Amino acid sequence: MLTRRRFVEYSASAMLAYRPLLRAGWAQTSGGPLRLAILGSVYRHQSNMQTIADRFLVGYPYEGDWHVPKVQVVSVYVDQLARQAAEAPSPFQLAMTGARVAPSSSNKGTAGGLGRDRAVAQQEAPEKPDSISDLSKARSQQFGFRLCRDIPEALRCGGDRIAVDAVLAIVEQDDYPSNDKGQILLPTYDFFQQCVQVFEEEGHALPYFNHKQLSFSFEQAQSMVKTANRLRFPLLAGSSLPLTWRLPAVDIPLGAQVQEAVMVCAGKYDGMDFDALEAMQCMLERRKGAETGVKAVQLLEGDDVWAAGNAGRWSRDLLSSALSRSDTPMGLTVLDGRTQDLVASGVLPQLVKDPAAYCIEYNDGTRATLLMLNGAIMDFNIAARVAGHGLVSTQFFLPPPPNETYSACLAAKVEQMFESRTAAWPVERTLLTSGLLEACLTSRHRLNQRLETPHLRINYQPPAESLLRE
Amino acid sequence: MPQNTTSAHRPRLAAVVTAYKRLLHGQHVVDRFLDGYGWAGAYHHPAMDVVSLYVDQRGEGDLTQERVDRHPTMKVYPTIAETLTLGTSKLAVDGVIVVGEHGTYPYTETGIMKHPHFEFFEQITRVYKNSGRSVPYFNDKELAYTWDWSKQMVDTSHQMGFPLQGGSSLAVTWRVPSVEFPLGATAHEAVSVGYGGMGSYDFHGLETIHCMVERRKGGESGVEWLQTYRGDGFWAAWQQGVWSQELVKAALTRSSTLAPASPTFTAMFPTVEQMRAMVPDPVAYHYQHRDGLRCTMLLMNGLVRDFTFAAAIEGQAKPFSTQMYLPMPDGRTTLASFFSPLVYNAEQMFLTGKSQYPIERTLLTSGLLIAGVESGFQGNRRLETPNLAAVNYQPNPESTFWRD
Repeated sequence: MLTRRRFVEYSASAMLAYRPLLRAGWAQTSGGPLRLAILGSVYRHQSNMQTIADRFLVGYPYEGDWHVPKVQVVSVYVDQLARQAAEAPSPFQLAMTGARVAPSSSNKGTAGGLGRDRAVAQQEAPEKPDSISDLSKARSQQFGFRLCRDIPEALRCGGDRIAVDAVLAIVEQDDYPSNDKGQILLPTYDFFQQCVQVFEEEGHALPYFNHKQLSFSFEQAQSMVKTANRLRFPLLAGSSLPLTWRLPAVDIPLGAQVQEAVMVCAGKYDGMDFDALEAMQCMLERRKGAETGVKAVQLLEGDDVWAAGNAGRWSRDLLSSALSRSDTPMGLTVLDGRTQDLVASGVLPQLVKDPAAYCIEYNDGTRATLLMLNGAIMDFNIAARVAGHGLVSTQFFLPPPPNETYSACLAAKVEQMFESRTAAWPVERTLLTSGLLEACLTSRHRLNQRLETPHLRINYQPPAESLLRE
Repeated sequence: MPQNTTSAHRPRLAAVVTAYKRLLHGQHVVDRFLDGYGWAGAYHHPAMDVVSLYVDQRGEGDLTQERVDRHPTMKVYPTIAETLTLGTSKLAVDGVIVVGEHGTYPYTETGIMKHPHFEFFEQITRVYKNSGRSVPYFNDKELAYTWDWSKQMVDTSHQMGFPLQGGSSLAVTWRVPSVEFPLGATAHEAVSVGYGGMGSYDFHGLETIHCMVERRKGGESGVEWLQTYRGDGFWAAWQQGVWSQELVKAALTRSSTLAPASPTFTAMFPTVEQMRAMVPDPVAYHYQHRDGLRCTMLLMNGLVRDFTFAAAIEGQAKPFSTQMYLPMPDGRTTLASFFSPLVYNAEQMFLTGKSQYPIERTLLTSGLLIAGVESGFQGNRRLETPNLAAVNYQPNPESTFWRD
């Protein structure tokens, strides 16, 4: 299992490579920069870890300035390296056989940020650096942080007490197994629990940011939230999509009654569907009565998706409105550049071979549907029917790789949470969306059955101010 | 001459384009009139009909026949005059759409492609004159490749009393963030940073600046002189502070395509030395307005692939900055949606008979382009620009960029 593998020692050769970095942790200085531990799966070019961690090393664009955080990254843990070390032959075996360490084979995961699992991949420039290569060693040498063999070491920086002020965890797909529901078993909970163990041993808990979903398991996600509440440390989680710019820059008016929402996206199951659910949730949680949780979900596939639309389970005018915001219609637009009304033309069923509808029934009667329309579009758009405001629609803007400036929006909120120890949005949002995704994938696994979700009766208040970017 | 803009019927439009091929301006613009486009959260069909089409250059990849087959009410005519008269002896349409971009035409000795904006204009206004009436005229991008012709187009439109509206989509597209230059504010300096070549995308960089700074106190006062900087002279001017490094930095922080100076990074702010290595052929048009405002349009191929703006505005602690966002079908999108606000504003002109923004902006930016290329041609010499000093105008106080 993952945890057991992590405790296997590094080979002697790996230790030698790290020797120059095994220096004492940064002394805590009052008024000095905030000391940050970054924990992640893989530090390769265009991985989530690389794009976000680098922002704390070299800064990021924010509100018309190149913002350099008052943060010192003091330690980094890369799960890929630990797993490679665990799988590598021991020094004894090497000495006996005279063999050399084989290069890593752990490179099957798709690199990258939000847009990376779009139905049609972005065209990558050919001169990109080797996306398989680990960059953490080079970064460690350049920026002087400690590259750690395990998570407790990252928190203690080689000493016997916690020697950092905050934790940033970026767990993403990198050869982790999947379960029979198609969920990737990302060890977010495992990372979190290892930190909590250190926090509890020392009676000292730190602000913690968990990138994207809390866990593939709602039970684990709920446990994380409870633990953070019990130990009274700020826990923030989620995706960049709720924080990026919107085209146009609109939000659901706070306290408005929302009857229905339709979000369109592209991607894989247990991929960008999470980001899309979070983006939808960050708007819907502002509705009248705030968030009261989800009563039932159903994931429909194939022709059932179109049939559900015809039966009024999701509204065609909302789909049309959401698609009117898209800059990526496929089909004839790709052929000759023409504009298309994808809904009125009736072309959607031809373009989308494998549609999916994540149908969500909220406890307060609001309905929401996430339509995954691979083959029709490649961007993320929403439309909602809001009493007194008509249809509110927008595109969640994903600036292209390599910059992916949307994650700079996230980095800013994470940095502010570390400094102020106050989360910019309730972690219950991410708890709910983590649970929503799991429930939808369970529905799919149970042959698209409708599932009651009493466990998702999650109440929370939205942030008073919209997090919409100006 | 009286205008005919009766609203009792759907306006009938003539389209005159250089070429009608995939992803050329003619396709982007005319398709939106024919097939509609997403606007304000719905699929919008313009309340007007393109009834005639003239395509100057056809050949491989030409989409004319496909469009006519799907839209049989649109007829193709062999001449511009017949396109406007629909084969009769008099003007028979309520508006004209002109796209003079692209196609294959010779170059001027200074290196500007001789797009036939003026030739089209002459033929069109000849029909207006012969018919005793004139109708609203949309002209995509710049006016003409000579100053005299550009000026003549504007003067003629005023004399004959028809609205002439043009310019680049940069002036009307989304802004990220969605901000407007405060009307009546005092600005000391402004920059735009973009990409592309002289005689083409420089126009977009200039329009990026002018849709903003024309809103300053007193309106547009005209431009006294201009100097182009290239190569080592560009970097020397950069170091000497001929333009504000702070403003360029502010603009670049609004870019979403900033090339990483080091190949293993995905986003970092480059040093000047790194920029020099990445940008082999930088271009700057640096110019001074009569009211003292200094502007610089920079083209930095290799560093960015978008257009950003920054200005020092009196009373604001830090630079005012934004990106004029172009959803660009170069892999980033499939649809060049920035043509939607351009067409929407053209529709508004056809419906109301009024320009949505002054043609003098386009006259000034067309003239600045010509002067910028000319300065480069003359060894980057500073040029006095008395013609441009005389271009004074007031902006539309209402914002016309895409924001809903």
